[in-house]
Amino acid sequence: MLLNLNRMGPGRYVLYGIGVLTALFLLLPVAFIAALSFGSSQWLQFPPPGWTLKWYAAIFNDPRWVESIWTSVKVAFTVMVLSIALGLPAAFALVRGKFPGRTLLHAFFISPMIVPVIILAIALYVFVLKFGLNGTFIAFVAAHLIVALPFSVICIVNSLEGFDESTEKAAIVCGATKAEAIFRVTLPAIRLGIFSAALFSFLASWDEVVLGIFMASPTLQTLPVRMWTTLRQDLTPVIASVSTLLIALTIVIMIITAFLRRRYAR
Amino acid sequence: MFEAISNNPYRNLRAPRVGLRRLRPALPALIFLFVFMVVPLSSLLLLSVTKPETGLGNYISLLGDATYARVLLNTFIIAALVTLVTLVIAYPVAWLLAILPSRVSQIFFAIILLSMWTNLLARTYGWMVLLQRTGVINRALMGVGLIDQPLPLINNLAGVTIGMTYIMLPYVILPLHATISGIDPAIMQAAAITGAKPRQIFWHVMLPLSLPGIGAGCMMVFVMALGYYVTPALLGGTSNMMLAEMIAQQVQSLLNWGLGSAAAFILLAVTLVFYAIYVRAIGLGRVR
Repeated sequence: MLLNLNRMGPGRYVLYGIGVLTALFLLLPVAFIAALSFGSSQWLQFPPPGWTLKWYAAIFNDPRWVESIWTSVKVAFTVMVLSIALGLPAAFALVRGKFPGRTLLHAFFISPMIVPVIILAIALYVFVLKFGLNGTFIAFVAAHLIVALPFSVICIVNSLEGFDESTEKAAIVCGATKAEAIFRVTLPAIRLGIFSAALFSFLASWDEVVLGIFMASPTLQTLPVRMWTTLRQDLTPVIASVSTLLIALTIVIMIITAFLRRRYAR
Repeated sequence: MFEAISNNPYRNLRAPRVGLRRLRPALPALIFLFVFMVVPLSSLLLLSVTKPETGLGNYISLLGDATYARVLLNTFIIAALVTLVTLVIAYPVAWLLAILPSRVSQIFFAIILLSMWTNLLARTYGWMVLLQRTGVINRALMGVGLIDQPLPLINNLAGVTIGMTYIMLPYVILPLHATISGIDPAIMQAAAITGAKPRQIFWHVMLPLSLPGIGAGCMMVFVMALGYYVTPALLGGTSNMMLAEMIAQQVQSLLNWGLGSAAAFILLAVTLVFYAIYVRAIGLGRVR
């Protein structure tokens, strides 16, 4: 009765009300930024006095924005590749290995998710300053890889646990070498896990702000760092248009993942 | 004889290896995390007890000085407040999602995912613009006639609470929804048949049964909120600075590395204590 809408009585209207308000609350900033980015008011008047695309043009006419987008793409892509390269073998060891301290190792691999990112950030900040690596591509990749790796390990471990190892052994019995069996049987079977690992690693790097703030130099900034430094100065509408592009990207990724999930669910 | 061995179809099927050799594939990741996480964190710990001078001076001044102690207290108050507000909103929403027809709840889940996956700075920027003195919210409230003067909604406790609640909501709604959907309706029917009123069923049956989800969600939000940096820095004020902001300020602007690292380790210790309680209560399996 409390878990059945039709038999719940008038109480359900309270739930409906809270539900609708929460949905509006969750949508409010997202929809608002999108509307604002097309508004012509420099002072963020709402509703805007007119409509324009000039804030989008401003992004692409400013080499600093374009450069930061490009830096973000390069860093995130490198992080994604390295995260799979390190995470995939690690996941194999975690799932199939029978060595002492396996649970501990698993906990260690996901520990970057638990340590507050500000602590990682200042620890790395002091560390890279010592080696003169601040503001370098390597520093960004290393920092972002720390927070991306747990996603990669978790995704691949999950899908590998769902894969029956005897299928791989069957391939070996049929004459495949160990490597052939892994590359032609096991990896294709867990490809959805690897794909999610790559996606989450890319996004973890792409959205990372705090580590970026501490790794950046005036000459090398990722997109979130550029947004952060701009936001600290003023609330220019250019941020709204950058944000809207990011929201559009989020929606595209959501549609792709929903589509893939549906395809693989069959 | 040799031919017989090489024709053996089982030749590639080695006996399962036991021992540390199976650890080898994990080595690259292990070494990476060791060099870029364990070493920097350890040297930070070292800094906290050696700079400016050897000893526990940094920790003593952090816990003894009224200014720093207030930052610590603020951090706990804000984290607790955000957790409470988030729970109060998330519970009815998770409940509603558990009983709505799946067509409708799917739309709601899409909204949750959209807000969760939108860039953190984009969301925070949205709130900065919405909440400012001349922002839409103040204008709307004045337009309706609820207030005469714009409310101070940003650079204070209200701003941080709204911004952080917004970010944390999905992290409570999702686990709570899983718990509530898992409750067997027959248990509540049994309570109803034996004469319990809906209110009694809620307080004595449904709420206790959803405690695991409440615990998991709240603990997660509380721990995340303790160490949050970006949103408090942009929506909060100087008078309610949180620990993460203070750490960043000490290290980056004031070059007070010793004190900053000591504060970082206090935050880490507190986080790990709460995390240990969480794992104890819920089990490591659920955390993954």
